[in-house]
Parts: sequence; C-alpha cells; structure tokens
Amino acid sequence: MFGYVRPRTDVLSSEEMDAYRAAYCGLCRALGKQYGFRARFLVNYDMTFLYLLRSGVRDRAEAKRCWCPARGCGKKVCTLDQVGFETVAARTVILCVEKLRDNLRDESFFRSLPDRFLRLLFRRAYKKAARRLPSFAALTAEQLGKLRALEQAHSPSIDATADAFARIVAGCAADVEEPALRRPMEQVLYQTGRFLYLADALDDLRDDCQNGVYNPLRFRFTPQNGELSAQELDYLTQLTDSSVNLAGAALALLPLRAYDRLLENTVYLGFPAVFAAVRAYKFRAKAGLPGIGRRSAKGGNTPKGETE
Amino acid sequence: MKDPYEVLGVSRTASDNEIKAAYRELVKKYHPDNYANNPLADLASEKVKEINEAYDAITRSRAGQGSAYNGGYQPGGSYQSSGSYQSGGYKSYQTSSNAAYSQVRSYLNANQLDAAESLLNTASNRDAEWYYLKGMIAYRRGWLDEARQHYQTACAMVPGNYEYQNALRSVQGGYTPYRQTNYQRSDMDTACDICNALMCLNCLCGGCGR
Repeated sequence: MFGYVRPRTDVLSSEEMDAYRAAYCGLCRALGKQYGFRARFLVNYDMTFLYLLRSGVRDRAEAKRCWCPARGCGKKVCTLDQVGFETVAARTVILCVEKLRDNLRDESFFRSLPDRFLRLLFRRAYKKAARRLPSFAALTAEQLGKLRALEQAHSPSIDATADAFARIVAGCAADVEEPALRRPMEQVLYQTGRFLYLADALDDLRDDCQNGVYNPLRFRFTPQNGELSAQELDYLTQLTDSSVNLAGAALALLPLRAYDRLLENTVYLGFPAVFAAVRAYKFRAKAGLPGIGRRSAKGGNTPKGETE
Repeated sequence: MKDPYEVLGVSRTASDNEIKAAYRELVKKYHPDNYANNPLADLASEKVKEINEAYDAITRSRAGQGSAYNGGYQPGGSYQSSGSYQSGGYKSYQTSSNAAYSQVRSYLNANQLDAAESLLNTASNRDAEWYYLKGMIAYRRGWLDEARQHYQTACAMVPGNYEYQNALRSVQGGYTPYRQTNYQRSDMDTACDICNALMCLNCLCGGCGR
C-alpha cells in the first residue's frame, strides 16, 4: 500500500534476505492464485510484514521455486503457505480497494479516472475478499469513514486521525483467538499503522500544502512553505520512536518461531531508517538511505533486486 | 508446564553459565522498565514468572533433589524470590491522597481505560496529577502526542516529580534498555568513536613517552 514498512536490507544476513524475498513472492503468488493475475500488482512490503508477523508464531513454511511473471520464463523461490497467505491476501485486496474508493472521494471526476479504472479492475477480487473477511471489510470501511469525517473537520489531532487508520491495521490480528498472541500482535500492528500514517503524512506534506489538501501535520504544526521546522520534525521523530519502542516491546512478547530477526529488524531499524529518509525528502525522491530500498516508478515497492 | 529449556531458549546440553546468561538476558528483555505503563505489562509479568519457574526447575534438576539453588543464584537472589517484578515492578503506581485518583489508578491497573477517563473527567480540580493520569490514559491508548502534552503540563506544574518525569521520558522516544543493547546502531558508532579516541590517546601518550 505505502511501502514504509520494510527491513534494513543492508544488515540482513543472506538467509534472512532470502526468507524475506520468498515471503514477498509467496504473497504475490497467493494473490494471483486466489484473486486472479491482476491482483499480483497489489503485493507490497507492508502486507509482507503482516504475513511475517502472523506466521512468525508458527514454524516456517516450506519454500520452493515457482514461476514468476515478472521474469517471463524464470522462476523464483516462494514461500508456500496456503493457510497463512489466505487471510493476508484477502486483507491486501480489501485495504487496497478501500483506499482506492477513499481516494475517489477526494478528487474531481477526471483526475479520479485512473483510480476509478483500477477499482473497476479489482471489483470482483474485492467482492471475493469481502465475502472471505466480512468483519474486516466492515471495519475498514467504518474507520476510513471516521478518518474522512476528521479530515473534513480539519482535525488538528494527529492522534485521532492516526488512530482511525491504526485501528484498521490492528484489525488484521482481530481473528487471532488466543489473547496472549492477539494482544501483542494488535499492539505491534496498531503502532505500525500509526507509524505508516505519520510517515505518509510527512511524505505528502509539501504537496498537500501546495494543493490545499488536508494533512493533519498542517493543522497540528505550523509548516512554512510545506516544511516543518527542525524542532517540529524532532518532535515527530520522537513520537515515531516511541511507537517503535511500544511495537518492539509487544513483539518481544510473542513466542516467535520464525522470522524473528526480520521482524525485529523491520521495527527497530527499518522504521527509523524509513522515517529518516522521509524526513530528509529522500524516500520519495528514489534516493533512499542505504538498505531501505527504493520506490518503483509506479508507486509499488520492490525488495532489492526484485521485480514486480 | 512448558519445557524449561525451551522457555530459556537453550539446549539441554548447555552449561550452567550459558543457562545463567540466557536467563539474565531474558529477564533484562522483560524488565519492568521496558513495560512501564504498557497495556501489555501483565503479559510481561507472566513471562517473567514463566522464566523464573523455568530457571528454578533447571537449577533444581541439575542440583539433584537437594537444595533449589546450587549454582550462581541463591534463594532470594533470583528475580522471582525477590518479588521485584511481580508486585513492585509492572504496576507500581504510587498511591494518591485523592480518592478519585486512587480509583483512576485502579482502573488503569485493570486496563479499564474508558472507566478511568470518565471518572477523571468528573474531577473539578485539574492539578498536576490530573494531567499525569490523563497522559497515562492517552499513552495506554497509543495516543502519544496527547500523552506527551499532558505529561509536559504535569511536569511544568510540579517540576521535581520523578514519576511524571519518567512518564514524559517514555514519550520522548528514548531507547529502552533492550533496544539499546540490541538495535541501537548509533551507540555502536559512539562506542567505536570512544575506542578510536582511546587508541589515538594511547598513540599520543606513547609518542610523548620515552
């Protein structure tokens, strides 16, 4: 969706990097198998993190070489975890399509034409995913509605707006039955959602100020020419660092059997590195800091050496 | 009960020192400082209890049927026996002279945030403790900006209060001890800088000597 949730690949071992790539490709494959070829374009880092978190409490699933459409006739190693990917793929489709639907409301008819086309393209996939996870689809629509109401009221509260989005992300663990697993997972995801929202808000701040579009940071702080002061940026960085601490403390409570280093890397190193890149206007400019990869031209995100 | 070796993350053939090191590392990981006012503090407390039981079980079995602690730790020396992480660590909110505030703290202990907030909102006098408790509720919800503002107000009203200052530090993005040990790369850099400085100093001292 956004691509802000990613590990620092420059400090990953080759084995961990391979596991990350296999999970990413596994999600892509699962999207294709369950929702058709075009759903493969919805694969992203953020939902790969969700898969790693949800499946980390189980033994690592097997991986094998599978056909990769991005490579034509080539194959890539994919994690094969039908049960694990099933709900993650459904949530990916729901989140992406709901986000498209939300975008449509902000734009004029002509400017929203690409989003309208994409939404049409994923209509059937969305229906199938919503049938699979009706409560998550309802939660996403409800929280995006709340977020929209806050935006229309020009809310200066970054907590309230981030909360609406973070609750959707935390909802990705609502179906975990055991409270000792569900509560830490929800906390990790809530703080991840909060981080995502704030990183995205900061990334968009310049454009939003120029275009007069709502951005919580515009109303919470006093940006000059679309830029926050160094003090305000420090304050924001400290808030996201506190989210890292809370997410890390929750992660430590999970009995992780797989992907533990990858998950810790993403929270403790990936989040701060991404935020530093966003803060320095390097994330969007495709001049990412070492080890956090780059954004692809079409807005998706690809691990180092990967193709979508 | 779970396999104690699995709980401590060590093999059955691990030496006593390895077990002790693993135990200490785990206790550090789930230290109350890492879970101060954390909504998951109860789970961390349970985790420490499990770790203590596992360590006790291993030391007991290795010592035969004799005394429980035959290794490095004596009764009272282990974290469980001292009780520091059970009652004094995770939920050690100070008692308040104000009955309503005491009740708010009880609600917080029970993770009943809505009840705590409703009661707090009925208070007419908004003193430093009121802002501190308001900040705690926001922090538990993950509303860190609001929490920080309330903590700052409490600290400004009563500057020397250790409890309020600690709470404020928790939203200033400082590194928790566990994170500092394992994932604070800049600290490593600092350590390297110190090493470099010492080496340079050594060269300089050597150069000045005979």
